[in-house]
Amino acid sequence: MKRWACWLPVLFTGCVTAEYSRVSANEPVDLEALRSLVPGQDDLTSCLAVLGAPLDVREYQVDADRASGMALIWYWTNEAGWGAKASTVVRGMSVSFEFDWTGTDLPGCVLWFDRDLKLEFYREGMVGQLVAASRQPSAVDQ
Amino acid sequence: MRAIQSLLLFALLPFAGCVIARQDVNEPLPALLIKQLQPGTTTARQVAELLGGPNQVVQLGRRTAYLYEASSTKNAVLFTFLMNFGNQDTRQDRLWVFFDEADKLSHYGATYGTHRTQYAMPWEDVHEDSDNASRDAERAGVAK
Repeated sequence: MKRWACWLPVLFTGCVTAEYSRVSANEPVDLEALRSLVPGQDDLTSCLAVLGAPLDVREYQVDADRASGMALIWYWTNEAGWGAKASTVVRGMSVSFEFDWTGTDLPGCVLWFDRDLKLEFYREGMVGQLVAASRQPSAVDQ
Repeated sequence: MRAIQSLLLFALLPFAGCVIARQDVNEPLPALLIKQLQPGTTTARQVAELLGGPNQVVQLGRRTAYLYEASSTKNAVLFTFLMNFGNQDTRQDRLWVFFDEADKLSHYGATYGTHRTQYAMPWEDVHEDSDNASRDAERAGVAK
């Protein structure tokens, strides 16, 4: 009884708060529809019809004649997690600490199209990793 | 002990509170107008006249792409004495239009989601298929 009672005044000041929250953004793509796409056969038209509009579009494999393919990127999140906030006063200054157990990279998929806008290949996974893995150094202009 | 716990819980009730907030960015995209776009015929100028200036223009080699987007976010937070419960739900309308080097529309893809956002608590699943379908039915040009 005495042990928890001595913490009560601290808690009443609102110094420590636990938090359970969910952040949900964008709709996940239909994975069944995604997996039904056939590289080499499907093209940009059929992929847009199946998956809708991507969140991001990037250049991919720019040739010397400036023709290029493109990468279409979808990502979403629906993550719930615990967090905690603590704040106190140290030497007259207000200091707060925040802990968040949710991740930073987001699940998603990337579709790469060749210069003729035929689906070259696609990947599912964490989008940050997929995009980083596909990044290639640009050619240096002489 | 149980009496003390009940008393404590009752004493904490006045400290509970809640906040709901909504943030919309841009107007929802006009689905019926977007259906007028015709690949192979519509030009970049006509798209701009129909939909206004895009939010983003991307150069893709010789091609270009315009992005039109709008978003809706609904936040609900329940504050209790030691625990806060929060939910943030964001959905977007997006339209990508792709033009060839002659500025003719070659492809487009649209997604509509701003009408699907909901206020909720974090333990709720707010995007069940039936929920989405009923909301789609109320928005012109979106229902499949």
